[in-house]
Amino acid sequence: MAQSKLQLRIAQSSVLRYGLAVASVTIAIPIGLFLEHHEFHRGAIPLFLLAVALSAWYGGAGPAMLATVLSTLSFDYYFAPPVHNLNFTLADVPAFFFLLTFGALITGFSAVRRRVEAELLQARNRLEIEVAKRTQQASLLNLTHDTIFVRDMSDNILYWNRGAEELYGWTPEQAIGKSSHELLRTVFPSPLDDIETEFLRTGRWEGELKHMKADGTEVVVSSRWSLRRDEQEQPIAVLETNNDITVRKRREQEIQNLNRELAKRSMELEAINKELEAFAYSVSHDLRAPLRHMAGYTELLQKKASSALDEKSKHYVLMMLDSAKRMGNLIDDLLAFSRIGRAETQKTLFSLTQLVREALTEVREDAEGRNIAWKIGALPDFYGDRSMLRLVLVNLISNAIKFTRTRTQAEIEIGCANGNSADLVVFVRDNGVGFDMKYVNKLFGVFQRLHDSGAFEGTGIGLATVQRIIHRHEGKVWAEGAIDSGATFYFSAPKP
Amino acid sequence: METVNKLGRILLVEDDPKDVELTLTALEEYNLANEVIVARDGEEALEYLYSRGKFMTRSSGNPSVMLLDLKLPKVDGLEVLKQIKSEEKLRMIPVVVLTSSKEEKDMVASYRLGVNAYVVKPVDFHEFVNAIKELGIFWAVINEPPPGSVRK
Repeated sequence: MAQSKLQLRIAQSSVLRYGLAVASVTIAIPIGLFLEHHEFHRGAIPLFLLAVALSAWYGGAGPAMLATVLSTLSFDYYFAPPVHNLNFTLADVPAFFFLLTFGALITGFSAVRRRVEAELLQARNRLEIEVAKRTQQASLLNLTHDTIFVRDMSDNILYWNRGAEELYGWTPEQAIGKSSHELLRTVFPSPLDDIETEFLRTGRWEGELKHMKADGTEVVVSSRWSLRRDEQEQPIAVLETNNDITVRKRREQEIQNLNRELAKRSMELEAINKELEAFAYSVSHDLRAPLRHMAGYTELLQKKASSALDEKSKHYVLMMLDSAKRMGNLIDDLLAFSRIGRAETQKTLFSLTQLVREALTEVREDAEGRNIAWKIGALPDFYGDRSMLRLVLVNLISNAIKFTRTRTQAEIEIGCANGNSADLVVFVRDNGVGFDMKYVNKLFGVFQRLHDSGAFEGTGIGLATVQRIIHRHEGKVWAEGAIDSGATFYFSAPKP
Repeated sequence: METVNKLGRILLVEDDPKDVELTLTALEEYNLANEVIVARDGEEALEYLYSRGKFMTRSSGNPSVMLLDLKLPKVDGLEVLKQIKSEEKLRMIPVVVLTSSKEEKDMVASYRLGVNAYVVKPVDFHEFVNAIKELGIFWAVINEPPPGSVRK
């Protein structure tokens, strides 16, 4: 380290430092005497000064002072006549003066040098600590994957971390010194002047920016700027942290597009629904009126001309009335069916057992005079529209009653089958005439009938209604059966 | 029938001539048809009630009951109902909506406007005749109409 290099020049312990002073003076003495012996007078003074200088250089001010004193005494003792005592003559005063003055000067210089050296050392230490701190900070900023760069107030990039390199594709060497807005072709959400005014006022800014990467692709970033000021509160640099939100923005855009599309679709759907409603209304009102008239006038005819008609004609009139009635029922069923599609479901939690009981009361008339063995299993609670579900049960049970008509002993079972963990499954099973599985997919269609209306009356809307209601409950309907071996109708729905 | 003497006047608002004929036939069957005024659309019904237009010279007094179809030319049934129920002089007239429509929204709208009864015309003629008979007997005979109604 630099510090140890500086310290080496000065002997570490004071014993060594002062010993150096004594030794250098001691060495100077015999050399001086040797020169004196060879008639080289006054050669000792530079030697003593050299000893002082050496002591000053390696030992510092204290040893230099000691060397000066020792040199002066040695000079007096060995070289200034009379020699070998400490007396001296006036002629030697300039030599003493010279020796002492230079010794003092060297000591002084040495003191100054040491002080300067110490200060220099301190300054270097401070600098080194600062450098270490900054290096650590910079490497910490490099650790994060966030994009961070620093730019000065003229927008020149000063620092560019690893995250910035990863996101934008420019290395610090390529980026530093460039204008960030030019390099990244920044697109601002509002005029830059406005942003900067606000930024300088508050010291912070957050917003979304569009940047161009080195490879030419565009990124959207969520950008945060913070302002750095010097001691005089003058702004000096901007720390910009950017997060890549391109994917999020794209998803948001996609969601927006989907929402718009959805809004459009639901508007279309609403329009279609309105049309359908108008149609249903028209059917309800306009189709029933002529039917009523036909029935009305036929009835009047029957009344007025009854005596004039033969049996065959009476039968014709009867058939006309029957058809009118049938069409009336068809229209009513169709309207009810269309209403189910439009009505709001009002969901509550209710007991299916109770609802089956109600449905059985409702179909009691159909079962009159019949021999039916009912088997009703344990039924769960159901979450859904109670009146709609009753319609489902009434439809399924009255079907079961209807199609077991030919059996002397009818058996109808209502129960709960094993569904999966999410759905419950309810079934209605009968031992009636059944159906051919070949036509199973026709069962639930509107106006689809698998039996001629002579054998089993009906409009062909019941099971379609069942299906529609169950679909509105996010459930499924299906059936199993075989000709003459009964049928089982199932419906499932999410468990409450 | 002894009830004939105090039979109330019936205002039948119905655009379909066949419906008019069948309704009148049903009323006749029970001798309820002596005092039936027929309006063919909503405007005519209002003209009668306000004694204006072709009814300018009619004898005064409100009908004992008004049988109102909903789907009418010019001014529809709900509009007629709204005007009657917001008019001090007319709001007491009992109004029975007699319509083919089973639509819930029509029913709700009618009751909201203060209709006195809502009857869906049955397709079956027997039921239809029965309904008309019941209505005629109840409103034109049994019910005591508000003061100012015409009774024969």
